Amino acid sequence: MWTLLTALNLCWEAELAEETLLTDDFLRQLINVGEVDILVGLRTYNNAKTIEPVIRAIQTGILKCFPRERAVIINADGGSQDRTPELIVGASIDDVWSASKVYALRTLHSISTPYASSPEPGTALRTILAAADLLRAKVCVVVSPDSTTIEPDWLQQLVRPIYSDNFDLVSPIYRRQKFEGVLMRNLLYPMTRAIYGYRVREPYASEFAISGRLATDFLTKEIWNDERSRVGAEICLTIAAITGNYRVCQSFLGPKAQPDRGASDLVAAMRRTVGALFSSMDSNFPIWSAITGSQPVTTLGTESEVMEEPVRVNRKRLREMFFTGVAQLEPVFRSILSAPTLSELQRIATLEISEFNYPADLWAKTVLEFAASYHKSVINRDHIVQALVPLYRGRALTFLLENRDGSGEDIENNLESLCGDFERLKPYLVEVWADRK
Amino acid sequence: MREIIINELTQALQDLARGFAHYLPRLVVMLVIAFVGWMVAYLLKVVTRSILRLTKFSKLSENAGATQLLNQAALPSSTELLSRFVFWVAWVGFILLGVSVLGIVALQEYISQFFLFLPRLFVALVILFFGLLAGSFFSRAALLAAVNVNFRSSRLLSISIRIIISIFTLSMVFEVLGVAKETMLITFGTAFGAIMLSLAIAFGIGGKDVAREFLEKRLVARKKEEKEDELSPL
Amino acid sequence: MRQAGWYKDAIIYQVHVRTFSDSNGDGIGDFQGLAQKLDYVQELGVTTLWLMPFYPSPLRDDGYDISDYRSVHPSYGTLEDFKTFLSAAHDRGIRVIIEMVANHTSDQHSWFLASRSSQDNPKRDWYVWSDTDTRYGGTRIIFLDTEMSNWAWDPVSKSYYWHRFFSHQPDLNYDNPAVREEMWNVMKFWLELGVDGFRLDAVPYLIEREGTSCENLPETHDVIRELRKKVDDQFPDSMLLAEANQWPADLRPYFGNGDEFHMAFHFPLMPRMFMGLRLEDRKPITEILQQTPEIPASCQWCLFLRNHDELTLEMVTDIERDYMYDIYASDKAMRLNLGIRRRLAPLLDNDRRRIELMNGMLLSLPGTPIIYYGDEIGMGDNIHLGDRNGVRTPMQWSGGWNGGFSAADPESLYSPPILNPVYGYQAVNVLSQRRSEHSLLSWMKHIIRIRRSSPVFGSGSIEFLYPANHRVLAYVRQLGKETVLVVNNLSSAAQAVELDLRRYKGNILIEMFGRNVFPRIGDLPYLLTMGPYQFYWFRLRRI
Repeated sequence: MWTLLTALNLCWEAELAEETLLTDDFLRQLINVGEVDILVGLRTYNNAKTIEPVIRAIQTGILKCFPRERAVIINADGGSQDRTPELIVGASIDDVWSASKVYALRTLHSISTPYASSPEPGTALRTILAAADLLRAKVCVVVSPDSTTIEPDWLQQLVRPIYSDNFDLVSPIYRRQKFEGVLMRNLLYPMTRAIYGYRVREPYASEFAISGRLATDFLTKEIWNDERSRVGAEICLTIAAITGNYRVCQSFLGPKAQPDRGASDLVAAMRRTVGALFSSMDSNFPIWSAITGSQPVTTLGTESEVMEEPVRVNRKRLREMFFTGVAQLEPVFRSILSAPTLSELQRIATLEISEFNYPADLWAKTVLEFAASYHKSVINRDHIVQALVPLYRGRALTFLLENRDGSGEDIENNLESLCGDFERLKPYLVEVWADRK
Repeated sequence: MREIIINELTQALQDLARGFAHYLPRLVVMLVIAFVGWMVAYLLKVVTRSILRLTKFSKLSENAGATQLLNQAALPSSTELLSRFVFWVAWVGFILLGVSVLGIVALQEYISQFFLFLPRLFVALVILFFGLLAGSFFSRAALLAAVNVNFRSSRLLSISIRIIISIFTLSMVFEVLGVAKETMLITFGTAFGAIMLSLAIAFGIGGKDVAREFLEKRLVARKKEEKEDELSPL
Repeated sequence: MRQAGWYKDAIIYQVHVRTFSDSNGDGIGDFQGLAQKLDYVQELGVTTLWLMPFYPSPLRDDGYDISDYRSVHPSYGTLEDFKTFLSAAHDRGIRVIIEMVANHTSDQHSWFLASRSSQDNPKRDWYVWSDTDTRYGGTRIIFLDTEMSNWAWDPVSKSYYWHRFFSHQPDLNYDNPAVREEMWNVMKFWLELGVDGFRLDAVPYLIEREGTSCENLPETHDVIRELRKKVDDQFPDSMLLAEANQWPADLRPYFGNGDEFHMAFHFPLMPRMFMGLRLEDRKPITEILQQTPEIPASCQWCLFLRNHDELTLEMVTDIERDYMYDIYASDKAMRLNLGIRRRLAPLLDNDRRRIELMNGMLLSLPGTPIIYYGDEIGMGDNIHLGDRNGVRTPMQWSGGWNGGFSAADPESLYSPPILNPVYGYQAVNVLSQRRSEHSLLSWMKHIIRIRRSSPVFGSGSIEFLYPANHRVLAYVRQLGKETVLVVNNLSSAAQAVELDLRRYKGNILIEMFGRNVFPRIGDLPYLLTMGPYQFYWFRLRRI
């Protein structure tokens, strides 16, 4: 009886929470904005240091590239204490005229809403999509508040394909430093490509644009009721676009800004990306299990070269953490990995840096076995994701060593080879998934 | 004399027969109850086994680490064990019920105590199970978190957490069962207090320099390490 | 008829004699015809007529090329006819202001004919002559579509003469006191006849100086002050209206300290009203009005939606001009001289709601409104007639012969009437609209009546409210204890708007058209819901 009452109460609270996604004050502000053509969403939490140039670039981009379009900037804030929302709302378009001599034909609203008292990226995105749905925005652009490298033209490159060419999702391609985006290049991209058959380079992007149609459809998905999926809403969005009846393209932007982050964020990043990716595979099994190979995605804009700026990396620490992980987590790995894979990892862990090599095919097999174990919930799912972190570090070390002296083209070739391994091992994944091995 | 002996013998035999006639039906009823009880217990065992299989109890048990423990003790699986336990509890209960029909006063009290003990036994088992589960979960969580921040003694930390939770769980179990209640409380309190006090003395006085060095190494080294590691994942 | 500051409460009706009504069947409107239509004008409710040039002229610029300042073009009648008309207008309480093209004359004017005849002629210096065409270099050309230079070669006097408009309109030389004296005499002539004021055409260009833009020069203001003083001394309460297509800040000097013009057209506001309507955003309107400087208390802005000229886009930015062209003049034939030569109704796609909204703003924003003849019934235009003649077609009085304009053969009309099924005189005319109380004409009469019911619209202050909903333009007009709240929905969709009216807490709102009562203003934002293009005028009352 008590259990029943508790369950009923939880349902009631969930429904209330659904209803109050848009607070009264936010709703009032949205009413005042009215229907728009372009909605730019900013998810913030204590971004006062970087937000002003970002807002300026967005305003300039809108006024310069889309002067006649009805636009709004919507900030979903997770409880900032450094006046980030005030900075956004207070940024006047008159300043754009002073700085860039770009004239504003129309009113450009900037509105802000606190969606939670602490940051929840998935809920922030949901708030923005709800606003886009309500305002019937033709295009919804999401920009990272840390994007200090953003240029006004990015708006054009993200919005134009949707506005003029009827695409539904525009994913970015950045001009990256050689060793940037290790997780993206070694796991997220190859895995998404192999599983879902589309070569989307940045399945988890900080800047992207979606059509109003996709925004509305995505709001109705079940991922919002599952905490793991909600945390990785961006990657779920990409997956929804490439598995649904939507047109997807990629657009070259510029250099990607790297926010000041610590090591602890790697676990959080893995949860948001890898956890969400694994989670998505459960419900999409009928789709991805039938896909073989992968196809390219329409890419727009001018390709830019890889940047050769040096980056400091503590290789010894990476190797040490890999070794510690393999040694200390052996009981955990026994539940997740197959015996041959684990044995191979243990062998690699004994190698010195000069000989260290975590081969691409082994890495692919590791990830796929993790995915299968995640599906079967051999242990707590969040623990499975965390257990992957030290192994990722080992792979990151190999990536560094492999590409240390390589050019951009060499890195691309290695990446292509890695993707090939993932695709080739996909049948293995299907067997392990269904417990046939 | 002979007549008296014959009369007494006849009387004794008659008393015996009377007594026998008095208890025999009850004995029969007891046997019937025992037999019915066996059937009911068997049915309960089958139902319990099915329910546990349907709810994938074995997986939960594996997560709790109970499976490993049972394997090491060469005991059957947790599903089987629990099913058998249900069988025996039910049958013993019926047997005792049958025994109570015999009307032996001295046994009535023990029989009622047994039935009163059953709910506590159930609660204790639940506590034990969830305690093991929590111990497994938190120890693994601590292990993973420690490994991912490059904490050297991560295994030690993990085991320590599991032990602490296990001790805590066992204390609660014994308390619920009412087995050596005061002894357990005092022992647990003493042991826990002693550990904390010794740690405080060791770090606070005896090893304060070591402690400082230890903490400095940990915190400063981590900052330095984090600064040197500029690889961005995304 | 004299009353100080009468122009502040005036509602002006702009009409060309030639287009209004033909009494003698020659196909051209005349003063007798105009006089016959004064009852209509009175019924409409306007208080002042502004007549476009009716002077003798070769009519190469629709009468703005004058060849005799003291007479009436024979096609329009005689001076006596004018006097009769003027008297009839005054009898109906309607004032009359006329054009005074002060900057230039026709090249057929006797003054120019004398001036060009020889270098020694006493009137030689009445115009601006030069041996070369390089003087005043850098001065912009106004009629870009037809003129290549501001200098024209005169083969008679073998020298160049200065013209800011068409080459057949040489500029008078206001550095010459004789010119100034003569122009005053011309004005005096008409003032003595009884006209109530002048619209001075092209006033920024009166004076030229080397190294300047030859516009808005200080010497120009000296000329104007001199004229104004004479008007005030001898004909007090006559009105001078400046036609100067300039930014508000540049227009401000034309009011002086209340010692130059009484009124000036607010040119920059007009295209922004059209822009705000299509953008569904009040920003263009509020921005230009924010930039509009304060003017002396005795002075007044003149507001208009359309007039006889093209909808000028000189005083807008390039991005705004491109927008206006794309939205309102997608057919390039509609574009002329950095403007759009269309009437009000076609510009607004003949959408009754938008026409009403624009007129509502015209009649409620601070300034004296001018209604261009024919716009009160929603007349159309003909962009295939040359120059700006497409918006100067005959007035449509009825569905009968020539739209009731003239009994002449249709082929002999000064201009063909509008004939298409949407705007043609069979569909759009005074007679049929008079019969319906729901016609545009009836509605115009009604709103003019309401406007005249309160002096707050003409003389009151304005304070803009800036509700968060940018599609709503709201402002408060106040004069003494009279307060009127105007709320305009610029959007094609229904809107909800919350107005901060706490300053007026306790007042009840009375909607001025239906005179119904709306809820009292309290502490909370005042919520209004509005239909597409709807507007409200509320009188605030504390009861």
